[in-house]
Amino acid sequence: MTLLALPSARDEAWRWSDLAALPALADARPSGQPRSVDDLWIDISGPRILFVDGAYDASRSNPGPVRIGQADADASKHALGRLAGSTGWSLSLGRDAASDTIQIVHVATGGANHLAAEIMLDEDATAAIVESFAGEGWTNRATAIRLARSARLMVARRFVQDAGFQSHADTADIAQGASLATISLVAGAADSRLDGHLTITGIEAYAEAGGALLGRARQRHDAAFVVRHAAANGQSRQIWRAVADEQAIASAAARVEVARHAQKTDGEQSLRGLLLTRTAAVNLKPELEIFADDVKCGHGATVGELDRQALFYLASRGIPPLPARAMLTRAFVADAFARIGNDAVREAFAETADRWLDV
Amino acid sequence: MLNITNLHAETAGKAILKGITLAINPGEIHAIMGPNGAGKSTLAYTLGGRPGYEVTAGSATFDGADLLEMEPHERAAAGLFLGFQYPVEIPGVSNLQFLREALNAQRKQRGEEPLSGAEFIKIARAEATSLGLDHEMLKRPVNVGFSGGEKKRNEMVQMGIIAPKLAILDETDSGLDIDALKAVGHGINTIMRKPDKAVLLITHYQRLLDYVKPDFVHVLADGRIVRSGGAELAHELEREGYVGIDGVAA
Repeated sequence: MTLLALPSARDEAWRWSDLAALPALADARPSGQPRSVDDLWIDISGPRILFVDGAYDASRSNPGPVRIGQADADASKHALGRLAGSTGWSLSLGRDAASDTIQIVHVATGGANHLAAEIMLDEDATAAIVESFAGEGWTNRATAIRLARSARLMVARRFVQDAGFQSHADTADIAQGASLATISLVAGAADSRLDGHLTITGIEAYAEAGGALLGRARQRHDAAFVVRHAAANGQSRQIWRAVADEQAIASAAARVEVARHAQKTDGEQSLRGLLLTRTAAVNLKPELEIFADDVKCGHGATVGELDRQALFYLASRGIPPLPARAMLTRAFVADAFARIGNDAVREAFAETADRWLDV
Repeated sequence: MLNITNLHAETAGKAILKGITLAINPGEIHAIMGPNGAGKSTLAYTLGGRPGYEVTAGSATFDGADLLEMEPHERAAAGLFLGFQYPVEIPGVSNLQFLREALNAQRKQRGEEPLSGAEFIKIARAEATSLGLDHEMLKRPVNVGFSGGEKKRNEMVQMGIIAPKLAILDETDSGLDIDALKAVGHGINTIMRKPDKAVLLITHYQRLLDYVKPDFVHVLADGRIVRSGGAELAHELEREGYVGIDGVAA
């Protein structure tokens, strides 16, 4: 049996996660029979990379500028991220380079698979990455992101595994004038734990971490993100929407840290939870740690149920209860994807959320 | 079309409707007037099937079917439209998306084919033009940021698109300026003044009845219809008020 040193619920940063299934998954073997991934490719041009159980499938990939092999995910301090190892994929773009949207599909067939990733954008380089996680088993990833001056990166991830556990940890350094947006959608049937530690290291940089966690049955979804402002005039946005049905528990902890010299920081946190039944639970924890004295940090956290007046209004126009519920829930989570700039990607994410809602 | 017999209903444990009997035939417009607290909105909500409004006695049939046995969305698919006194704001859902879903849900329940996006947009634009609602407002979230008049025009656009058999309009005239009132009156006449359709117009004031001429006027007081008459009854009420009508407390 594998000995895994996992954090327990007594550890404040892990109190809402349930990692109990991981030791058994770590010992199980993948079946090697992946589900079809055709539905996971979004119809846009650009490189496509497929990993099956963490192994690169060269025959079904067109990696473009992405390199497969060594990757330093810089996750040695993260309880799950450190297990990601030092092989995986890396993207390094030189000055002023721009890449088409890179799609990466990870499909798993059981057991556990780990992979590291490293993204380095030089000055003024631009990239967009869309990752989709499907199948079953424990899929564990860690990604290190380094953005040089005025580089721009958007990473959108869909976690739609049918079973098992999905864990992901980002670390990022964002230099002067650079911009990073990470947007996650959890809409499958597997548990999840998403972490991010984004540091604004240069002035006038932008960091965004957000997404939607959709849970039903007895699923647990947990997102824990920190944005650290270590330079002045930075902006950050953390927009999370958590939806829980049946006995699910969806949790989001978002923290903003503003260093003493990070004056004129503009931070916004919007955490909203929606309980579709009273047996479900949503935990929201906005945290602010501010040492500078000239900053604007807005934060909001609300948990509620669907508006009964709105449900009756929809019913009075002929919309039956389930579609009415789906329509209002869709509207509730839409904010979380609003900032995905590519229309086709944004629509694909909305459709993924719709499929979850229509089950 | 609508036959209400001895309808009793309560909300929050309080009896509000205390025996309403009313028959509405195709081609008729009925106005229900009455003082505050008479039970006008409760009658609309009870017929619409709003949760929290419980029928304790009596019956209501719609085209021969038991209305009270139907779920609210089934009542809509059967041809009943409820116009709200305070239309609900639905952030994040566009008017077009909402109406297309509503219309197609109704068609599906009636065993009809859904309308394509293009067919639907054509109908929606035509109705918006007819009621003077800016087409841009069709794209905006349902009622969000709409003025009182725009919300009521939007109700009329919805009614035009959905094309119900019977419209129950709950104080559609409240909070309207004169232009919006005219537009709403025009909407009711254009959409609903037809031999196979009927309207139950619930109002506190007579002024909407200047634009929509009712065939019958009923006075509701303390949960009962205490007097019925023709259009002239509305003028009498406007002149003399509700006090003095039998059954209306001074």
